[in-house]
Amino acid sequence: MAADSTGAAALAGAFEAEPALGRPRGLWSDAWRRLRKNRLAMFGLAALVVIALVAFVGAHVEPFGRYAPNEQNYSAGARQAGPSSAHWFGTDQLGRDLFARVLEGVRISVEIGLGTQVIVLIIGLLVGGSAALGGRFFDNLLMRVTDITYAFPDLLAIILVRSVLVDRTWPVVTNPRVLIILAIALVSWTTVARLIRGQMLSLAERDFVLAARALGAPRWRIVFQHMLPNTLSPVIVAVTFGVPTAIFAEAALAFIGLGIPPPAASLGTLVSQGYAYIENNVWNVIFPAAAVALLMLCFTFVGDGLRDALDPRTR
Amino acid sequence: MNVRNRWILLLAAPMAVALTLAAACGGTSSTDKTATAAAGGAGTTPTSTQTGGLPADAAPASQQKITMQSTEPQFYDPHRSNFEQDIAVERMLFRGLYNLTDDGSGGVKVVPGDAAGPPTISGNVYTVKLKSGLKWSDGKALTAADYVYGFQRECDPTVASPYQYVLGAGLGDLKGCDELFNNKDATKTQALKDALGVKALDASTLEFTLNRPVATFETIWSLWATFPSRQDVIQKFGDKWTDPGNIVVNGPFTMSELVPKDHVTLKPNPEWSGQKPAIQQLTIKFIDDLSAALKSFQTGELQMTAIQPTDVKVVKGDPSLSSELVIDPTARITAIEMQLKDPALAKFDVRLALSRAIDRKTLVDVVFDGVYTPATYWVVKGLKGFQGNSAFDSTIGFDKAAAQAAMASAGYPNGQGFPTLKLTLTDTPSNRNLADFLIKQWKDNLGITVTPDFVDGKTRSQRFNSGNFQLFPGGWQLDYPDIENPLVGLFDTGGGNNKYNCSDPAIDAAFKEATNATTEAARIAAYQKVETLVVTKLCGVAPIYQNAVPYLVNAKVGGVVPNGTIDASGPGTYCVECWYVKK
Amino acid sequence: MDPMAAYALRRLLWAVPVLWAVATITFFLMHAVPGGPFTQDKALPPAVNDALNRRYHLDKPVWEQYGLYLWDSVHGDLGLSFQGDRSVTEIIRNTFFVTAQLGVLGFLVAVVIGMTLGTMSALNHNGPLDYVGVAFSTIGASVPSFIMGAFLVIFFAVDLGWFKTLGWGGPRHLTGLLDPFAWDWRRMVLPVVAISTLPTAFIARITRASVLEVLNQDYIRTARAKGLAEVRVVLRHTIKNAMIPVLTLMGPIFANLVAGSFIIETMFSIPGLGRELVNAVIRRDYAMIMGTTLFFTLIITLANLAVDLAYAVVDPRIRYR
Repeated sequence: MAADSTGAAALAGAFEAEPALGRPRGLWSDAWRRLRKNRLAMFGLAALVVIALVAFVGAHVEPFGRYAPNEQNYSAGARQAGPSSAHWFGTDQLGRDLFARVLEGVRISVEIGLGTQVIVLIIGLLVGGSAALGGRFFDNLLMRVTDITYAFPDLLAIILVRSVLVDRTWPVVTNPRVLIILAIALVSWTTVARLIRGQMLSLAERDFVLAARALGAPRWRIVFQHMLPNTLSPVIVAVTFGVPTAIFAEAALAFIGLGIPPPAASLGTLVSQGYAYIENNVWNVIFPAAAVALLMLCFTFVGDGLRDALDPRTR
Repeated sequence: MNVRNRWILLLAAPMAVALTLAAACGGTSSTDKTATAAAGGAGTTPTSTQTGGLPADAAPASQQKITMQSTEPQFYDPHRSNFEQDIAVERMLFRGLYNLTDDGSGGVKVVPGDAAGPPTISGNVYTVKLKSGLKWSDGKALTAADYVYGFQRECDPTVASPYQYVLGAGLGDLKGCDELFNNKDATKTQALKDALGVKALDASTLEFTLNRPVATFETIWSLWATFPSRQDVIQKFGDKWTDPGNIVVNGPFTMSELVPKDHVTLKPNPEWSGQKPAIQQLTIKFIDDLSAALKSFQTGELQMTAIQPTDVKVVKGDPSLSSELVIDPTARITAIEMQLKDPALAKFDVRLALSRAIDRKTLVDVVFDGVYTPATYWVVKGLKGFQGNSAFDSTIGFDKAAAQAAMASAGYPNGQGFPTLKLTLTDTPSNRNLADFLIKQWKDNLGITVTPDFVDGKTRSQRFNSGNFQLFPGGWQLDYPDIENPLVGLFDTGGGNNKYNCSDPAIDAAFKEATNATTEAARIAAYQKVETLVVTKLCGVAPIYQNAVPYLVNAKVGGVVPNGTIDASGPGTYCVECWYVKK
Repeated sequence: MDPMAAYALRRLLWAVPVLWAVATITFFLMHAVPGGPFTQDKALPPAVNDALNRRYHLDKPVWEQYGLYLWDSVHGDLGLSFQGDRSVTEIIRNTFFVTAQLGVLGFLVAVVIGMTLGTMSALNHNGPLDYVGVAFSTIGASVPSFIMGAFLVIFFAVDLGWFKTLGWGGPRHLTGLLDPFAWDWRRMVLPVVAISTLPTAFIARITRASVLEVLNQDYIRTARAKGLAEVRVVLRHTIKNAMIPVLTLMGPIFANLVAGSFIIETMFSIPGLGRELVNAVIRRDYAMIMGTTLFFTLIITLANLAVDLAYAVVDPRIRYR
C-alpha cells in the first residue's frame, strides 16, 4: 500500500501540475474502451468481482460457508491445524476455520476500505469544492485547515480521535466499525480535497467553462454539469488507490490494539493475530496476509488501469 | 491514496506493547519450585551463605557475561518506582534491611539483608541492628542515617513515591509517614520529617516507631520502598542521581552504562560485602516485543528472556529450547471482576451462573496452551494461608447444570430476558481469544449475550477505577507476599481498591477479626475466612486462573534460584549474585 | 528577492502557525482522552496520585498547563517524559539519530535499487527483465513490512545465523559516524532490507513508468531516428527527464522512512523515535506526545516544502501562489 498511497500522491501531483485535458464529450466511453484493453486492470476487476462474490454471497453457500467464522472447536488436533480438505486454510487457536475467518475478514476489510473512501470523497468534495468556488477568503481558510490536518501525525490523530469518541455519550458512535472508518477517513481526506480544489480552479479557466459562463448558464449548473464530471477522473483513481490503503491502515491499527473488537475480525486483525502465533502455525499469518496482498494487487491494477484510461497522456 | 496513510502501516505495532505497558505494577514472576527445578539451566541451588568462590562448573571470569531481556524500567530510584521491571533492577543495585527469598516449598520467606537479625520488638517500637562492615559502592560506610534518609524520602510528598502507602495506614503504619506525605505546607516539612517514626540510635542501630504492632514488619521492610539512600549524592545530583557515574549503591551490582530506550549494563559492586557475584557483566536489553525476544534468544543474542505464553507449545516441541524453559507462576490471579452496582450483577445467582458457566480448565488449555493454572481461589498459591481450588470448585467452579439452575432462579430461565453485559478488555491477540472463549461459554451454557468492549489500556483502567464496568477480566498482583495483601482494601466496605462495591457485614467482621488477631495463626485463619466469604459470595470477583510467565534461560546459565511468590520481572532476579555462566 | 526564496521563506513562516495549531489540538485532545499518566488497574491511593500530580504540575487547570507548555516550548523546553523524568528534547535527539540512520540507509537502498530496477524494466519493455522487475515491484508493495521482517528474521537470522536481530548496529553519537568500529553491519542488514522493500518497489514502479513515458516522447524518437547510440540517448535524455516525477516523490518517501519506522524498530528492538510516539500515546506521556508530534509535524512540513521546491526546480512551469 505504500507504493499505492505514494503513487496516489504522485498522481495528485501530476494532476495538480497539469490538470487533465478537458474532454467534455465521450470521456467515459473512451475511458471504458481503454480500460477494457488493459489486461491487468481487467484481471484485477475480474478478481475483485470473484472475491466479492465468494466473500459476500459464497459464504452462505456450500462449500464456502461450511463453517461459521466464530465456530470454535477445542478438540485435540482441531486447533492450530494446517490446511486440509476439511479446513482449506487450516484452523486458529480456538479451532476456528481460517477460511471462513478470512472470508469474513475480506468482507469487513472491503467495507472499511470502501466506507473510508466514501467519507473521504464527501469531505474532499465539500472542502475542495468550497475552497475552489467559495472565494479567496474561504479558499485560504480551508486550505490552512487542510495543511494542519496534513501535518498532524496520522497515527496519533487516529488514536486520539478514537479514544475521544469511544468514551463519550456524544457524538454517539457505538458501532466500532463506523468508529474505525471515521477515524481513518478523518486523517485521509486532504489529498482528495487538494486534488478537487486544484482541478476545479484550473477548470474554471477552461474554454468550455468560460463558454458556458458566457452563455449565461447558472453557476450550479456549470459546477455540476461541466466541472464536477471533469474533476472526477483523477478523484476516482485516487479513491481506488485509497481503498487498499485504508485496509492497510486498519491492519496497522489492529496491531496496536485499536482494531475492531471480536468476534468479528478484519484481515488486518487476522494478520496481527496470526503474527502472534507465527511460531505455532505459520498459515495463520500466510493466508490473511495473502488475502491482503491480493486485494492490494487487484485495486492497484484497477487503479493503474483507470489512471491510464482516464488520462491518456500516461500510457 | 493519501501519502501519509502509509505512516499508519509503517507505524504499526506488534501487539505486545500495549499489554506490557498496561501491566502497570502487575506482571510477572513468582515461584514454583518444581517448575524451576525442572528447568535445565536453572536448577542448581547455590548456597546463599557462601561468600566468594565460584561453583565448580563456572566458566572463567572473562566469560561471565549475560544479556537478558526486560521491559525498560521507568526509574532506577527505589523511592520512585512503581513497576516490577524497575524493582527487579533496583534489587540488583540496592538491598534493604530484609530480603525475600524462596522458602523451598513454593512460597517466600524473609531473611535478614542489611539487618543483623530480626527486629527487637517492644510494643510499637521495633529496633533493628545493622550488620557490620556495610559499605556503599563508593567505599563510604553505610550507616543507620542512610536508612533514616531513605524513609524520609519515601514519605516525602515532593518525591511522590507511588508505593508510599505500604508504609501508610493499615499496612506498614510507620508513625508520621502519612502525615508527612499529605502535608502541603512547606514550612512544616522539617518538623514532620523529624517526627517520623524512624531514628538512628547510633551508626548501626535503627529504631522504628509504628502506630500499631505490624505482623508483616519484616516483609514490608524488605520492599524497595524501604531501601536506604545517600543524602549527599541525591542532594548533589538531584533527579540525575541514578545516572551512571552519579549513582551510589549498596547492592551486589552497580550501574556502568545506561542507554535509555536501549539497555543498561551492570558490573559487580566491589564494595559489596555479601556473596561475590560471578557475573562480570550483566546487560539488560529493553525489549517489548516478546516474539522478537524469542528470536534473539534463538540466535544466541539473549541468554534470558520472557516469552509469550502462546510460544510455549513451540518451545516445548523444540529439543534444545524445551530444556531451557522455566515457567514461573506469578503472584497474580485473573478473575472476572464484576460491578455489584449493576442491577443484573447485584443478584448473587447471576454472578454464580456466570462463574459456574466458565470451564476454566478448557479455557487455560485452549487460550493459554496450559501455561496458566485454572483457579477458583483468590489467594495465590505460594502464600501462607493458601486454600486452593479444592476449597471453592464445588461452590463456584464449572458446572453447566448448576449454572443454568442459578440463572433460572435469578429469574432468567435459559437466559431469557437477561440484559446484554459488556466485557471490557484491551486488544491483544490473547485477549481476543479470551473474549471469544468466554462469550461463547456464556452463550452456550447460559444462553446470554455478552458483548466485547475493547479499549486501550489506560481507558480500561480509568473505567475500572471509576466503577464504570460490568464484566472486567482483571486481577490483583501482590505487592508483597502476605495473605492480607490481596484482600485488605479490596473487599472491605469503602476500601480504596474496592471498585466492585463489595459490601458485606460478614466480610467486614472477618476483616476486623484479622486486625484484632493476636497470633499469626489466628490472623491467617481470619484472612482465610475473608477469602472464603469473598469467593463463595462472588463479592466482585470470580477467579478464573493464576497467571504465569514462561522464561527461557540459556542452558549455560546456572544459579538461577526462584524468587518466590513476588513481583520479579525475570527468573531468579532477586539473587542475581547467585547467577553464573557454566563452562 | 528571488521569488523562489521568498516562497520558501513564506512557507517556513507558515510552519509556525501550523505548529501552534497542531500543538493546541494535540494538547486538548490528549487531555480529553480517558485516563492519565498515572492511571492503572491497581489505582494509586488518592494521596499518592495528588503528590504525583503536584510534582508534574498536573493539578493545575488544563488551560494553565497549556499556557505553561507553550511558554516553555517557545523557550526551547519541551518538558520531561514521565518515563524516567528524562528531557523530551534529549530523548528526541538520541532516538531520532538512530531512526534517521535507519531511514537514510533505507532511503539510499530504495533509491539505488528501485531506480536501477525501474530503468532496466523500462529499457527491456515487455521483456523478461521487465517482468521480473514488475513482479518484484507489485509483490514488494503488497507485503506488509512486519511480515517481511518476521520472515527475514526467521530465515536469515534464526535458521542461517547470518545476521543478528537485536538492536541497531549504527553509532549512537555523531562522532561515531566516521568511526568504522561503531558500525555493526550484521545488526543493520535485516532492518534496512525490511524497511526499504516497500519504497524500493514503489520507486521501481514510478521510475519504470516515467522512463517509458519519456521513451515515447517525440524528442527521444527524433534522437533515435537521428541514429544516436541507444546508450547515449538513454543517458542524455531519458534518465534526466524521467527523474522529474521520481525526484519530487523522494521527499515524502524520505519523511515516511525517517518518521514512520515504528514497526521495524519494535521488531528489531531498535531505540528509535517511531516507537516512542506510539508508546507515548499508550502511556499518556503528555510531554512526550507533544514533543514527538511537534517534531514529526515539522519534518512533514519541511519534507513537503522540499518536495514543492524540488518540483519547481525540475519543472519550471510551476508558479508559486
